[in-house]
Amino acid sequence: MKKTSFRPFLAALLLATPLLATSCKNDDDNPTPDDENELITTVRYTLTPAGGGTPLTVEYKDLDGAGGNAPTIGNLTLTANTTYTGALTFLDESKNPAGDITAEVNAENDEHLIVYVPTPANLVTVTRTDRDRNNLEVGLATRLVTTTAANGTLKITLRHQPGTKTGQPEPGSTDAEVTFPVTVR
Amino acid sequence: MLFRLAAALLWAGLCLGVVYQATAQSTCTLPLAGRVTDHESGEGLAGATVVLLPGQDATQTDPEGHFHFHVCAGTYRVQVHFLGYQPEEAELRVTAAAVRNFALHPETIRLQGAVVRGTHVEAPTPQASGSLSGQALQSTRGQALGEALQKLAGVTAIQTGPSIFKPMIHGLHSNRVAIMNNGVRQEGQQWGQEHGPEIDPFVASELTVVKGAAGVRYGSDAVGGVVLVQPRPLRDTAGTGAELNLVGMSNNGLGAASATVEGNLRRLPALSWRVQGSLKQAGNTRTPDYWLDNTAFRERNFSAALGWRRERYGVEAFYSRFSSRLGILSAAVVGNQADLQAAIDRGRPVGNGSFSYEINRPYQQLRHDLAKLTSFWKTGNGGRLTATVAHQQDFRDEFDVVRGSSAAGSRNLPQLSYLNYTSTADVVWEHPHWGNFSGSVGLSGTYQRNRYAPGSRQFIPFYTNQVGGAFLIERWQQQRLLLEAGLRLDRRDLQTRRLTRTVQDDTLRYGVEQQQFRYWTPAASLGAVYDASTHLSLRADAGLVRRAPAANERLAQGVHNAIYEEGYDVSRPAGAAPLGPETSYNLGLTATLHDNPRLNGELTLYQNYIDGYIYQVVAGSYQTIQGVFPLWRTQQTDAVFRGLDALLTYAPAPGWLLSGRAAVVRARNRRLNDYLVFVPADRFEATARRQWSTGPAARLQRPFAQLSLTAVRRQDRTAGAEYDLQAAPAGYQLLGAEVGTTIRLGNVPLELSLAGSNLLNTRYREYLNRFRYYAQDQGRNLTLRLRAPLEFGRRAGSR
Repeated sequence: MKKTSFRPFLAALLLATPLLATSCKNDDDNPTPDDENELITTVRYTLTPAGGGTPLTVEYKDLDGAGGNAPTIGNLTLTANTTYTGALTFLDESKNPAGDITAEVNAENDEHLIVYVPTPANLVTVTRTDRDRNNLEVGLATRLVTTTAANGTLKITLRHQPGTKTGQPEPGSTDAEVTFPVTVR
Repeated sequence: MLFRLAAALLWAGLCLGVVYQATAQSTCTLPLAGRVTDHESGEGLAGATVVLLPGQDATQTDPEGHFHFHVCAGTYRVQVHFLGYQPEEAELRVTAAAVRNFALHPETIRLQGAVVRGTHVEAPTPQASGSLSGQALQSTRGQALGEALQKLAGVTAIQTGPSIFKPMIHGLHSNRVAIMNNGVRQEGQQWGQEHGPEIDPFVASELTVVKGAAGVRYGSDAVGGVVLVQPRPLRDTAGTGAELNLVGMSNNGLGAASATVEGNLRRLPALSWRVQGSLKQAGNTRTPDYWLDNTAFRERNFSAALGWRRERYGVEAFYSRFSSRLGILSAAVVGNQADLQAAIDRGRPVGNGSFSYEINRPYQQLRHDLAKLTSFWKTGNGGRLTATVAHQQDFRDEFDVVRGSSAAGSRNLPQLSYLNYTSTADVVWEHPHWGNFSGSVGLSGTYQRNRYAPGSRQFIPFYTNQVGGAFLIERWQQQRLLLEAGLRLDRRDLQTRRLTRTVQDDTLRYGVEQQQFRYWTPAASLGAVYDASTHLSLRADAGLVRRAPAANERLAQGVHNAIYEEGYDVSRPAGAAPLGPETSYNLGLTATLHDNPRLNGELTLYQNYIDGYIYQVVAGSYQTIQGVFPLWRTQQTDAVFRGLDALLTYAPAPGWLLSGRAAVVRARNRRLNDYLVFVPADRFEATARRQWSTGPAARLQRPFAQLSLTAVRRQDRTAGAEYDLQAAPAGYQLLGAEVGTTIRLGNVPLELSLAGSNLLNTRYREYLNRFRYYAQDQGRNLTLRLRAPLEFGRRAGSR
């Protein structure tokens, strides 16, 4: 009977196969800047006094997204007993030119709702003035009314409600949520 | 004929690494036992006659098909007869406790040139293990791999909704459980709790779980255990056969079909082949109160194998593809921590949902390809060399809810897209037997690249992982005692390239951070198997395993499912040492009562100390433009897992079988003197089964009926409240039942069964289901299963 014996050469060859098979691939490729395709880096709220005057702008900006550097958060200083016309802008400034998220939200305004929550509740009154194709409010355009001088915060939340929008904040998920310190004087 | 018989037996013995030594012992109490089964269904045959020659000692098999003799050492011929089946005969040289099983072919299917061979002589392992095959496996057809494995005591699953099941062994999972898919270690994104194994269970004819650390044989990260997905060996009798499986479920409208065709050429008996494919589609799952919207899923898989086998050598090529799309419960879509809290407070989806096969965002799209080439040579004097090379690629795309007009929405891009390519090579040499020693040495190598696709988000960085290792397992066997010792050493080299973002002058700048982590990871094991009597065997094993941290534990970063996750090495303090390996010291004791006519059972006790246990802790919260997120950061602690698995079966009367199972796990964080999160609650199951024996002429063969009750206690040993968003849900009890039979249609034995789960439509939430915050678990479900083995080969009578 023929006898086969252990062949270390064969074993070594087999062991080396995966190395040979993969060595031709580029192993030194670096990760490319990731295209975080749903990223929002900037929320900007522009308020123009109804009677005319210089528009106010407040911005929440986090260029490097989750992790890394802390966001920069602006302060909103308003005049008492004044009515403002508000316009909300969402941007992705990690790209050049910056991605216009407002246009995307507006294109699907029947799936989005922007919720404005002042604290304390009587700090300012925000009314959504734009409507979607189902005649439900959206909130990209607003009217903001101040009364007496006070300090507090304004939380702005972009809710994504595909197929479930009823005009209420729930259900849905949050795409952006920022809180600005507010001074009314 | 005798020569062929002996050759076949010898071949089977060598195949499984079991040796029947020729040196005769003078004791006459050696147990010779086995089981006689139907080759088609795998069920035990009661009342078969087993004759031992020389001496004409004879016995009949018990209701489960078991038989046993006490014999002197020597050479015997074993003949098995059963009315309606072809008799079989085998020659056995008995020197120690021997197990010889017989799978009889029904008389009506006359195979030409049938070769008698040893079917599955399990080499005993010192570790506790369990397996599903035959009818037990059949009754899980249509389920996901991780769901099916829950039939085994001590095995549970981390669940993400109704379609994703991640196997958990003795409380450990993900990176700590190795899954061997047809002999190749499954590699992909196995770290994720919501990443189910990308394996089609229809490929398997047997699912085995090795419970407890098996680092020496399967690689140093098998701290918790190993899942073996094993297809049947390729056909080695001439002819063509096929198997058709159909499954339908009432709850989610699941339909699954799997077909296997295999053959062996009459003119070229060395050549065998098999092709297999399966399709599965399911709609939304229904709970007692509402539908789970967007939980539909579908799967398309295929595999093919081609083998060339001669007496001294053989080669086999195998290719498989798994592809699946899994909808993720829409009620689980949450943006930030406030959303999450609102969803938890709601506790159920908004609205009652409806049935649909449609899959919308969010969903997972998976593909896993495996190509494998394996070969064996029988080296001189009974040694055997096996070499395997394999390449696998794993693509995992996760599609989140996006704005339809955005770049991702309009081009339907995934938000996370992982690519993993792994090549492995293994060489194992089972050396010839030296006296009472047998054993094997092996070398293995892995080369792995992991990337994310351009246009997707970095969650796991680019990495290259290279592992080279060697192991040695030696066994020493004398009469009733088997001792096993193993050693392994791996060299691991992990190189990472992580994209970093910094802001300078109000501009975002990208950089690449390179790191390299190198470790030697040893593993050692010591085990014993002692056959205390014919019916009682005792097993013990102790082991040391060291596992190097995986890339996700080091460098994962980002928001995933309303949680901000961060690997330890992303933000480790300057100058601090990187995350180190964890070391497991484990001990397992198992007592098995077996082959008794009435009472059988198994008890396993285990303890696993893990020093440097890598886990995630809640380290505060994190402010982003999307709101506040809880921050989970990878840390190390010392942990201990201990528990027991118990199984008891009792046959009060012929045809009746009562069985009970229990699994208990206790897991502690030793540094914090606290419990660990996501540990299975105590689980108990009781089953009563009636099997009717029928004559071979009966139209309905071997009908059975069974009733089962599963009880799961509330998990009241939970970690601090910050680790879980919600207290553990209440315990629950579920009632299940199954009836089945085999109908003979011409030559086709058609197996038919109807199973019901959660028959009382109980409202419950499983602690290990990650979606228990959002919705209930599945309600009542009826499953109809059909299996038809077909034989196209020429009949013996036509010769």
